[in-house]
Amino acid sequence: MRRTPAWEKTLRYLLMLAVLAVTVGPFLWQLSTSFKGTTEDIYTSPPRFLPEHPTLHNYREVARIIPVWDYALNSLKVAAASVVTNLVGASMAGYALARLRFRGRKAAGIAFVMALLVPLESIVIAQFTMVRDLHLNNTLVAVALPGAVGALNVLLMRNAFAAVPREIEEAAVIDGATAWQRFLRIGLPSVRGTLAVVAIFAFMGAWDDFLWPLIVLSDSDRFTLTVGLDYLHGTFTQNPRLVAAGTVIAVAPLVVMFACLQRYFFRGAGEGAVKG
Amino acid sequence: MRRPSASRVRTHHAVSPWLFLLPGLAVVATFSLYPFLTTVHKAFTDARTLTPGTWVGTANFRAMLDDEQFWTALRNSALYVALVVPFTVLLPLLLALLVHKQLPGVAFFRSAFYTPVVASVVVVALIWGWMLDDRGLVNALLHTLGAGPVGFLGNAWLLLLSAMALTVWKGLGYYMVIYLAALANVPRELHEAAAVDGAGALRRFVSVTVPAVRSTMVLVGALSSVAAFKVFSEVYLLAGPTGGPAGQDTTLVMLVQRTGTGLNGRVGYASALSLVIFVIALLLMLLVLRADRKEDL
Amino acid sequence: MPLSRPRRATATVPLLVAALALTACGSGDAGSGDGGGSSADGKPEGDITFQTWNLRANFKDYFEGLVKDFEKQYPGVKVTWRDQPAEHYADKLSADAAGGTLPDVVNVSPDLSHPLAKAGVLMNLDKEKAAARFKGDYTPEAWQGNTLPGLGGSYSFPWYLNTGPLFYNKALFREAGLDPEKPPKSYDELFAAADRMARQSGGRTATLAGTPAIEDFGRYGVRLMNDDATKFTYNEPKGVELLTKYKELYDHGGLDPQALTNTPEKSGQKFLEQKVAMNPGSAHDLDTFKKNAPTLYRNLGITEAPNNTGRPNMYVMGLAVSRQSRHKAAAIAFAHFVTDRKNQETFGHKVAVFPSTKGSLDDPYWTKDDGTDEGRVRVASAKMLKGAVNYTPVVMSEEMKTVLRNEVAKALQGKKTPRQALDDAAAQSDKLLRQS
Repeated sequence: MRRTPAWEKTLRYLLMLAVLAVTVGPFLWQLSTSFKGTTEDIYTSPPRFLPEHPTLHNYREVARIIPVWDYALNSLKVAAASVVTNLVGASMAGYALARLRFRGRKAAGIAFVMALLVPLESIVIAQFTMVRDLHLNNTLVAVALPGAVGALNVLLMRNAFAAVPREIEEAAVIDGATAWQRFLRIGLPSVRGTLAVVAIFAFMGAWDDFLWPLIVLSDSDRFTLTVGLDYLHGTFTQNPRLVAAGTVIAVAPLVVMFACLQRYFFRGAGEGAVKG
Repeated sequence: MRRPSASRVRTHHAVSPWLFLLPGLAVVATFSLYPFLTTVHKAFTDARTLTPGTWVGTANFRAMLDDEQFWTALRNSALYVALVVPFTVLLPLLLALLVHKQLPGVAFFRSAFYTPVVASVVVVALIWGWMLDDRGLVNALLHTLGAGPVGFLGNAWLLLLSAMALTVWKGLGYYMVIYLAALANVPRELHEAAAVDGAGALRRFVSVTVPAVRSTMVLVGALSSVAAFKVFSEVYLLAGPTGGPAGQDTTLVMLVQRTGTGLNGRVGYASALSLVIFVIALLLMLLVLRADRKEDL
Repeated sequence: MPLSRPRRATATVPLLVAALALTACGSGDAGSGDGGGSSADGKPEGDITFQTWNLRANFKDYFEGLVKDFEKQYPGVKVTWRDQPAEHYADKLSADAAGGTLPDVVNVSPDLSHPLAKAGVLMNLDKEKAAARFKGDYTPEAWQGNTLPGLGGSYSFPWYLNTGPLFYNKALFREAGLDPEKPPKSYDELFAAADRMARQSGGRTATLAGTPAIEDFGRYGVRLMNDDATKFTYNEPKGVELLTKYKELYDHGGLDPQALTNTPEKSGQKFLEQKVAMNPGSAHDLDTFKKNAPTLYRNLGITEAPNNTGRPNMYVMGLAVSRQSRHKAAAIAFAHFVTDRKNQETFGHKVAVFPSTKGSLDDPYWTKDDGTDEGRVRVASAKMLKGAVNYTPVVMSEEMKTVLRNEVAKALQGKKTPRQALDDAAAQSDKLLRQS
């Protein structure tokens, strides 16, 4: 493999540092606010970046005001379910759209495109009426259902499968492998990168969703984290430090998950197919 | 294009494709397409949040033509697509190329670049609001350069542009991830060969990378066009619920929210707006997808 | 499923939203007892749900205690308490009303109860004997504040009230050469002070962060609507006069440069950041100032918001009873229990809001200044509440408020004359009103 020249390395690191400042810089301020003590001015202009008396008090306070671990667990359940259903549902549908020839394929593809375009704001109440008729209102199952297979994820998987060279699969067809066998043994291992993308998008979508869980859930014990954290905006009191601490709690798992998954983005066609 | 020879032989059972599609189609049909049919129906009624309404024909659509806000919103949403999409297609690709190469510590940068995506848009808008304020960080920087102050948050156009910048910024990591997955499929040998040829970085980008990720670029273009056309949160949070000074920054989805939600919502009119948004977005998506001739959607 | 709601036999999913609202829609006075549940006059018993709006975080113990006390008093009743977070409360109510899952007792303000009552899902308390007999427990202003025009009665038990002073920043007053101990009392003084503030600071410090909202027109003495609440009248000369004054204020830098887009929350934040010199607020804001902006708190001045009517503005909260409740007697008993004198006063001791029960505000806690800032604001606010009104018309939807705000902005920008802007806003709002 070609060695990277020193000047190129330097340039890359400089660029990455520049982007780092732009993307992460603003959040440091939020992180800093979450560590600020109760005697400090939050609203100064210009804003002060470092806490004078750093403290974990705000995090304890968040945990005192709301059952933050229970809410996080509820969110985790919904997000985990969403990852599984999306991986299975989207990869199967994506494979069929990209690799199988059949009448109605175009129509099926358009159905997913259309689903992607539906303005969610206009269907929330209709969706709620539906889960109520299924006796699922006020359950976590209902929270997970509408996003169980995302149209966007189906299209991403379709695109990924379409990019896999056909030659490998043709050989398998001649060997007599069924569609299901080809999907499992040749298709899936070739698109690991996109599977990782779908996993993180599904997790993130479920974890961040606010309006739908709010509409569906009534008992505060069953709330997901984003809904529960809204309690930190009290009716009579505002404490931005608590809101900041809540934000950090909500974002941290997503960053960690991304950090764990990011190496899979680089397992592409070549690497995966050999293992399969 | 040459049709693959294997497709001439029988490759699968006739029902197989539908079994593959079943879970996905079931969810999408039940929770998106079917409820949307009721929206389509309501677009022709005078329904409100708590009353089903009666059939009014095309009255809602005719009312739209006379609605000054509708035209403002349509203009803003169209501008959003035109100005945001080129950046969301190109910048994340460049970013993906930057962190694609395995270098020590690059994993940290990749994760860091993804942070804006996972952070809630409420928090992001709050932080941006602080930065763009008359006495915020950006104006402090401009001041040291001897310029400003610029009233980013007081002027309708600057507000719209700021919201667009916010959308691009928040999309960087999101689309970067899609590109990273696609780049993994580009055989490294191609790059190596081009390097041995002595091809310059720019030429290598144009002649090797772009063709290899072309269909992904088209997909990103389509997805970000639709997202830009349906923009809501960034403008709502930065320009305020009224849609900027005198409502001049209102976008189409903001108009749906303003007219259709709450206990007094004019659901009929909001549904008609939703239908218009849907049709335009569909046309937009099909148009962009056509740019990739290999696509057969 | 913990819901004890009348299950409707809607096997046909297609007919969405208001399958039930259908039956009663439009007929505003459909309030009396036969909503589908039990009789309201019987013995209180059964399982009921009670929903508050964003009070769980700070008052969990209080509400759990209330429920326990009530269940002890009425052994046949079981109360499930729920609390909804701050955002999208109206959307949550919409979904529940449409889906037939509205809680038996629900926390509403008049602008929320109006559309619900109009759709026939709330009980008309004036027409329900079991509820109407409690009317005398509350102050007439509070009961009136929950009465809905055109719907023939009140649809919620009055709960806590709120009003507030005008806060100002003494340090900024001093810098502008204004006497920090003599805050403006009338509108003229206010506008003069704002003008001076802008000139002295070279346009750097604005006095107010927001544009005039409907309650500002009300306080100024503008007639907002006609008597039967079918037509907006804020475009009368008095309204034009107020907007013209605001226009001068805006042109001279007396309003924050972002005033046209500031939400009340953002305005409050600007005051905390000491970017604007005055901001209307509530008694409970003192705590926020103390915690988040200690420097400001040391320079905090408190004065009464000017008004030309002698009647300050107040905000009212209430507890409504669902017409579909299967245990109406229990629901009424509980709603009254939460809003009775003892429990309201206890709540008022926990947070700086005010009870709506008759006689409560004569209690020394609300009449005797204990020398603290909190005490001073509390007593002053309680005094204001006598004769206070909720200026915001209950029929004015969020969309109509946005219409007014955007037309006011056009006038301030100079794109329309104040008169034209208010005429247009009133015309658009009247049109929306006719459609509803």
